Amino acid sequence: MAVSGSDFPGSLTNAALPPPRTRIFKIIVIGDSGVGKTCLTYRFCAGRFPDKTEATIGVDFRERLVEIDGEKIKIQLWDTAGQERFRKSMVQHYYRNVHAVVFVYDLTNAASFRSLPAWIEECKQHSLGTEVPRILVGNKCDLQDSVQVGTDVAQQFADSHSMPLFETSAKDPNSQGGGNHRDSDHVEAIFMTVAHKLKSQKPLVLSQPPESSVSLSMGKDVGGDASRSWGCGSC
Amino acid sequence: CTVWLYRLAVSSRCSVSLYRLSLLSGCSVSLDPVDIQALRRAAATRGGLLNNEMRRKVWPKLLNINVFDLPHRPGRNGREKHTDFQQVVLDVKRSMKRFPKGMPAAERDALQEQLIDIILEVLKRNSQLHYYQGYHDVAVTLLLVVGERMAMAMLEKLSNHHLRDFMDTTMDSTKHILNYLMPILEQVDAELHDFMTRAEVGTIFALSWLITWFGHVLSEFKHTLRLYDFFLASHPLMPIYLAATIVLHREQEVKQTECDMAMVHHLLAHIPEDLPFELLIGRAQGLFDCFPPPLLAKQAALQSRNSLSISSFQAFQLSTLHQRPDSVLQPGDDGELWRQGNRIVKVAVWGLSATLGAAVFAVAQTAMDWGPEAFLQLF
Ligand SMILES: Nc1nc2c(ncn2[C@@H]2O[C@H](COP(=O)(O)OP(=O)(O)OP(=O)(O)O)[C@@H](O)[C@H]2O)c(=O)[nH]1
Ligand SMILES: [Mg+2]
Repeated sequence: MAVSGSDFPGSLTNAALPPPRTRIFKIIVIGDSGVGKTCLTYRFCAGRFPDKTEATIGVDFRERLVEIDGEKIKIQLWDTAGQERFRKSMVQHYYRNVHAVVFVYDLTNAASFRSLPAWIEECKQHSLGTEVPRILVGNKCDLQDSVQVGTDVAQQFADSHSMPLFETSAKDPNSQGGGNHRDSDHVEAIFMTVAHKLKSQKPLVLSQPPESSVSLSMGKDVGGDASRSWGCGSC
Repeated sequence: CTVWLYRLAVSSRCSVSLYRLSLLSGCSVSLDPVDIQALRRAAATRGGLLNNEMRRKVWPKLLNINVFDLPHRPGRNGREKHTDFQQVVLDVKRSMKRFPKGMPAAERDALQEQLIDIILEVLKRNSQLHYYQGYHDVAVTLLLVVGERMAMAMLEKLSNHHLRDFMDTTMDSTKHILNYLMPILEQVDAELHDFMTRAEVGTIFALSWLITWFGHVLSEFKHTLRLYDFFLASHPLMPIYLAATIVLHREQEVKQTECDMAMVHHLLAHIPEDLPFELLIGRAQGLFDCFPPPLLAKQAALQSRNSLSISSFQAFQLSTLHQRPDSVLQPGDDGELWRQGNRIVKVAVWGLSATLGAAVFAVAQTAMDWGPEAFLQLF
């Protein structure tokens, strides 16, 4: 599958062409420091695991143009700082106008899983209602010997919050997950699932001049299987 | 007395220029006793402190650190009990980029361990201070220049002054400091200010600039060092003024960007590699002189909030003026590392009388004695 993307969308803004409206899906990625938010967003936008990451201070953007059912859509991932002090007073500005939320925990770190209720609460406080699609991602499933958060527990938690759960690895997304019966989900598929979900919702208003050179399309249908776990019928 | 700095080429063979502390007659030229004003001027004006030898001498003076009474090397026992241990380790382990490219892995590992040690030790000794991601970028810059014990002393001093606001339990004070940015822009370029306001870009793009003194975002270490010279010699708000000059410098680019939060944030957050830092430093100083913090606070009706960094600055600055000469501080001639290299600062002095407008040379020891290699190491 052709995967390309840009860590630097600056070029997108320079297109002088008239705008056939490109919708933008804004997805915020949150979770404790070190769970792999930067790696996951980087993998989706640049197509590979980054050689090195550094602590995210404040907010970083990454984006990628994809094509879903013939429509070009810009997926904008907002990679946020994990340390609690940033989340409390710095990041809230970026919760505005968000279309979906990705909660990330590290399945080799139980503490990061225990923090999830606080992150969910955080979203509530920024008045992101339940109509905003949310998914739960357990990252680092390549480290099978150090798993601390079992799939059952995670699934239970996800169900109780009406979110689909994905176990994956930003490093090696094709490796098998900790659970014995399910394949770990491809990072690509996870974000595309969210995009499909958003596309099926009511039209979004934001538009954007298109970039002429980049044309991406999904090589396979990734929406189907995972998206069934969206519990709440209204969204 | 007024201090002037002038640029002299070290030799025709090397492009590196050496700035000399050039002092009007009557001022001291060596570090002992300290002419802190002159050092501050040297650190802030064109070229800065030039090389790490110089920095090792001057940085501690700028912070009024007694080089003969440094804290002991921290022990490693029980460091993992500190509440911030995990976070510090995570951040330090991911800070590979901050170390020189050619450095052997073993050496880097050892330095990373030291980095963890000094950060945790400073936090342990100052329970009022709270770790933030980015603090490690400041610590690593100090460590690489002045070594473990001096880095710890400097970090502790900075944490209680320049960085103090960032180390509260919350980031509210940091947000307050960031609030000075837009008013500066408004003073200089109302159009740009309006554009950014319309884009609702906020100021988080400058957050890491502020709390790491740009250490987190610059890939060339020499630029970081140059900025540290400047900030160590300046008011705690100076990083905000520099942030403003960078935004102003990129005014065209910003205005051509789509007026959208994400676009403008992204453009600004990524600092170009080739910024003319000397120029920008001069401008930042100029902006600071034209629009000092109290004036901005008044004009922009900034919500008043007690900033510990700002309120303690005057006393801090006064204290640096009254440093006792090393010859008094030094307990004995026991080969203290920090005395070595004393002569570096005496390198070469080019005095120029401002009133006469004529140069008066007072060359104590020429740079040629050192050869350009010593200066080139860094560049
Ligand atoms: N083995 C493995 N390591 C991973 C994976 N994802 C991330 N990591 C590692 O985990 C560490 C943290 O990853 P980041 O992406 O920087 O974490 P973050 O969530 O962005 O952290 P903050 O920016 O501090 O909030 C890094 O050392 C990564 O190399 C993964 O899927 N597998
Ligand atoms: Mg990150």
